[in-house]
Amino acid sequence: MFPSCKKKLSPLQRRSLQMFGGNLSLIVGISVASQYFVEHGHPSKTVALCLAVLVAIPVVGIMAVVGRYLRQETDEFVRLLVTQALLWGLGLTMVVNTMMGLLTQFYPIYRLPPILNIDLFCVTAMIALRVQLWRSQS
Amino acid sequence: MKNRLRVLRAERNWSQADLAEKLVVSRQSVNAIETGRFDPSLPLAFKLARLFDIPIEAIFYDE
Repeated sequence: MFPSCKKKLSPLQRRSLQMFGGNLSLIVGISVASQYFVEHGHPSKTVALCLAVLVAIPVVGIMAVVGRYLRQETDEFVRLLVTQALLWGLGLTMVVNTMMGLLTQFYPIYRLPPILNIDLFCVTAMIALRVQLWRSQS
Repeated sequence: MKNRLRVLRAERNWSQADLAEKLVVSRQSVNAIETGRFDPSLPLAFKLARLFDIPIEAIFYDE
């Protein structure tokens, strides 16, 4: 994900990647568990609210990891690439959500659960960063 | 902005990786500066000037 994935990552990049991956795994795990609990456990409103907060915590964690990385990264070009990748991820996520939102109004199609937005954002941002790194290799 | 980074680097027989190591940046950063796709910040420009021991204007110039 970060510059020269096949080569040595800086300690900051390695640590940030690990924390990013950890938070993403938490999001997936908590989302799946929450979904199962909601469908089979029929929780009360209070419990549902607590679950919603629980799922949001690793999302905040991801933003904190990214923010911390951008603050501490000394290579300004890499900082620029990461920022651009995040913007691409945000843009693509909004495009997908907008399209799905409009289509759902007219057709009874399956809608992407909002809880998957963060996964979509992270995946698209990572792909965008890889593309930018590949382009900057030349 | 244009720059003479490639020429200065070649005069000292440094690779992009060598220069990147001396500046504590990635090789992609050096490549991006050399090809004009990225203009360095003032601190990095000063770092380059100190490294080559020449004024900033001798490295970077307007198109």
